[in-house]
Amino acid sequence: MTEAPAVTAPDPAPASAPGRGRGRGARVLAVLLVATIAVGAYLWVTTVRWQRSSAEWEEKAHGYAEEVASLRMQLDGASSELEAARDQLSTATARITDLANEKAQLGDENVASQQYLDYQTQVSGAAATVASALGQCVSGQEQLVGYLKDADQYEASDLRRYEEQVNELCADAERANESLQQELRP
Amino acid sequence: MTSGARSLAGRALLVGALFLTGSLGGCGVLPPLPEPVPSDIVPSAPANLSPAAGGDALSPDGFDAVERMAVRIRNVGCEELSTGSGFAIDDHTLITNKHVVADSKELEVSTYDGHDITVGATATAGLADLAVVRTTDPLPSYPELAKTDPKPGDPVTVVGYPAGGELTVTEGEVISTTRDPLNANLGEVLLTDAPVEPGSSGSAALDDKGRVIGVVYAKTADDNSLLVPLSTLQDMLADDTAFTPAKGC
Repeated sequence: MTEAPAVTAPDPAPASAPGRGRGRGARVLAVLLVATIAVGAYLWVTTVRWQRSSAEWEEKAHGYAEEVASLRMQLDGASSELEAARDQLSTATARITDLANEKAQLGDENVASQQYLDYQTQVSGAAATVASALGQCVSGQEQLVGYLKDADQYEASDLRRYEEQVNELCADAERANESLQQELRP
Repeated sequence: MTSGARSLAGRALLVGALFLTGSLGGCGVLPPLPEPVPSDIVPSAPANLSPAAGGDALSPDGFDAVERMAVRIRNVGCEELSTGSGFAIDDHTLITNKHVVADSKELEVSTYDGHDITVGATATAGLADLAVVRTTDPLPSYPELAKTDPKPGDPVTVVGYPAGGELTVTEGEVISTTRDPLNANLGEVLLTDAPVEPGSSGSAALDDKGRVIGVVYAKTADDNSLLVPLSTLQDMLADDTAFTPAKGC
């Protein structure tokens, strides 16, 4: 009896391998396609959003540009007014300084005039006093002359005393007059 | 190619695709969506705004503080009239020179804008040519006192009424310290080249920050000016016995 030859089962034939490979490839492609579509959709949405955002920014920029132009005009106007106001302020402060100085000078002149008036009043008073003293001197001397004409009727000692009094009065008047003349000398 | 190799290649392709897609988004190749446009982009408080040109010279009435604190003093003496300058150190106190208020029957004080200020008591220092005049009316402005005496070369500004005329601001610099040639002050005095005239006596001498550094009291033969230094003024003000009531005529 011969032994039957051993038969080994062949390896499982890769009957389905090409199909599975194609299937995997298809899945990969499908995934890539989906990913590409997703990326494309995202890019489209992004583009649309950026376009919209850009348009809004541009609109806002135009608005601000107009506002800037308007503000620049207002600023130019305000600057001109400010410059004019500064000039006016400068003129006003200079005028105030002038007026303050004029007032001060007038005050000085007023005080100086008052002092001069006081001085003149004092001089006039002194002149009146001197004139009065000189008048008394003259009257005294006239009286003395009268007494001397009738010297026999008076005591000699009384006449001498009266003469001394008149001389003293006249000397005082003379000194006062000298002082006044000295004061009046320029 | 074997099926194993194909499978491996497929997986690698899938992983690569996923990696590529992920990295495109993750690494920033794909642009992000824009932020919503804000309704208002104007900042609420503009920062670092500097004043317009010339704005620093403005004050409530167009006069700067240096001018507002100076006063003109008219000394109505018993026999003659003289004028001098002074400056405020607080709401009701003026500083001037002793010789400005000497032999006075009446003191008349006016401000930069011509307002008359009613004067109260006057006191003079014994050891310096300084006087303190108290006022009943408030004074418009007063400066700070500097911290120390100035050094040679420091700028000096003198504000006063030279020759009893208009309010005048002159500038110069400190030359040196020197002994008082008039012997009117104890200690040394400051010599500056800021122009002064008779009538400037009592003017405030200020540094470049507008702070008081001295009090003008004399002019030299070579047209320089002499100042009572700040330190002397501070010493006198700190000493209760330094000032005594002024004697009128």
